[in-house]
Amino acid sequence: MEQFFQQLTNGLAVGGIYALIALGYTMVYGVLKLINFAHGDLFTIGAYLGLTLLTSLALTDHVGGFLGVGLLALMVMGLVGIIGMLLERIAYRPLRESPRLSAVVSALGASIFFQNAIMLIYGAKFYVYPQDLLPKIPVYIFGMPVPLMRILILVASVVMMVALYLFVQKTKIGTAIRAAAIDQGAARLMGIDVNRVIMLVFCIGPALGGAAGMMVGIYYGQINFTMGWIYGLKAFTAAILGGIGNIPGAMVGGLLLGVIEALGAAYISIAWKDAIAFFVLIVILIVRPTGLLGERVAEKI
Amino acid sequence: MKKLLSLVGGMSLMLATSAFAADTVKIGLMGPMTGAWAAEGQEMKQVVDMLAEELNQQGGLLGKKVEVISEDDAGDPRQSSLAANRLATQGIVAVIGTYGSSITEASQNIYDEAGIVQVANGSTAIRLSEKGLKNFFRTCPRDDEQGKVAVATIGKLGFKKIAILHDNTSYAKGLAEEAQTNLKGMSIPVVFFDALTPGERDYNAILTKMKASNPDFVFFTGYYPEAGLLLRQKKEMGWNVPFMGGDAVNNPDLVKIAGAPAAEGFSFLTPPLPKDLDTPEAKAFVASFQKKFSTEPKSIYPVLAGDGFRVVTAAIKGAGSAEPAKVSAYLKTTLKDFPGLTGKLSFNDKGDRIGEVYRVYKVDAQGNFVLQP
Repeated sequence: MEQFFQQLTNGLAVGGIYALIALGYTMVYGVLKLINFAHGDLFTIGAYLGLTLLTSLALTDHVGGFLGVGLLALMVMGLVGIIGMLLERIAYRPLRESPRLSAVVSALGASIFFQNAIMLIYGAKFYVYPQDLLPKIPVYIFGMPVPLMRILILVASVVMMVALYLFVQKTKIGTAIRAAAIDQGAARLMGIDVNRVIMLVFCIGPALGGAAGMMVGIYYGQINFTMGWIYGLKAFTAAILGGIGNIPGAMVGGLLLGVIEALGAAYISIAWKDAIAFFVLIVILIVRPTGLLGERVAEKI
Repeated sequence: MKKLLSLVGGMSLMLATSAFAADTVKIGLMGPMTGAWAAEGQEMKQVVDMLAEELNQQGGLLGKKVEVISEDDAGDPRQSSLAANRLATQGIVAVIGTYGSSITEASQNIYDEAGIVQVANGSTAIRLSEKGLKNFFRTCPRDDEQGKVAVATIGKLGFKKIAILHDNTSYAKGLAEEAQTNLKGMSIPVVFFDALTPGERDYNAILTKMKASNPDFVFFTGYYPEAGLLLRQKKEMGWNVPFMGGDAVNNPDLVKIAGAPAAEGFSFLTPPLPKDLDTPEAKAFVASFQKKFSTEPKSIYPVLAGDGFRVVTAAIKGAGSAEPAKVSAYLKTTLKDFPGLTGKLSFNDKGDRIGEVYRVYKVDAQGNFVLQP
């Protein structure tokens, strides 16, 4: 039983990160019907920018661990958001009226470009975050030690996801995003600047992805330029699992995928972990082709 | 006018052909310059380029300059077959590389059909040299050798319940299975045998499961990025089981990734590190590498690529010919106890390196790799 709960927390920590990245896929898909394959690399950029800012600014020495990391996360989110907007402007907007396949190819190209750009700028070696950024004390939950960092990751992910959900559901700009997701033409006729909405989506999604990259860097320590590939793939799967285009779906899908992986590894076979996760995905898609929470497809995002 | 044209045409053709027959001996280098193992591949290129430069300063080979043509295999079997095809058409005598076994495997037949000598530097999977390919060599030892040393070490330390973890690459799986068979032979029970997915960040699920099987020793046969994460996450779990790695964990980044406290006490098998090489050739090599790139060679595999380059050029010199068949015959029959950077080099009929190469290293409290007696 202890192993079960231990594996559950293992899965939730991984799943929280998947969910945060999945939000970027799902938001872009919701508005543009485009799978932004470069999203995993924006996540990598977040991890690298976090490390660069961390070592060059030494913020954590001045203002303490938690505040320093928080400020850095905001800076990283801002920068990756800007990169996301540039990506949209350069690689996707010129192809807005083209067939969808062209945009997908452009997305793959952007992904290769980012990955190699990171390699050329930083080099191919592994980078390591400083180890003692945040205190490494375990928190006892039902007498079971859980690393504090893991709880922080989960809490930070959930807070960001809930904030995003409220933003999209309750604010005027959020309403504009939802309107653009349903019908761009009609939204334009209602006086919504669709281009600005798309820009905003390409700012928020990558910003969350960048934050996830920085979290991975801080928690696991090791980053390299190919790290975005596996995380991107898994997050994309999570987005589909939950119902792509749907924000709560991305959260549920991410957490679920992490837990399925951990439990599959624990009780069936580690080597078959991914096969099990994808098998579950296939079964869910056969039963519910729109994903778990996909019934709200009509009002995506 | 026509005559003049044909004359000019003829002359330029002659020039072109003579340019093709340009007086260089071409040697290929295939390594992972990009991709997950790019750090190894880029250092391979530094080493081989430097050795070629030194050789050219000393007058080259057979009165010609040596030219190194590099191709990137990206640590990916598909990319590797493309790279091999590109190299095979460029008139190379021999190719040095590559690092991963599955990557080498994808290129072996292409070089064999083109009649090019291949000297792999990091591919230790057993079957690579069991295919009867005439022109295949490697400067690294084989996994069965490593498996024997691993099991002997485990036996000597007296552990009773062993966990083996690999990462499903041909290399790591081969070594894991070799160790498992040998342990069975010594009737030491293997309580856990499974594989992780390389390239991930979170291995807590695997560690949790492994811990439940309660081993007193863990042998991980995969590569250093994963080994570093395993050590770090194991420490965070507060689990103190001793870990040992195969030769693919031999990279200083291991300690950086794990952090010195988590890496302390970790032991691994490897051919000797560049800093522990004590032959005069090796010392001179490390010194000139240091001078040129202002850093020491970090990993042993680029040095083994350097050895590959050195045996090939020695064979061309010794055979007095840059014909691959003669080079290959020279390497198998005439070349004995060649003073390599990593010790003496001789090859058997299969192209495998003869002799004991493996050492046991342990990480100390400062994160240094210390050679165990």
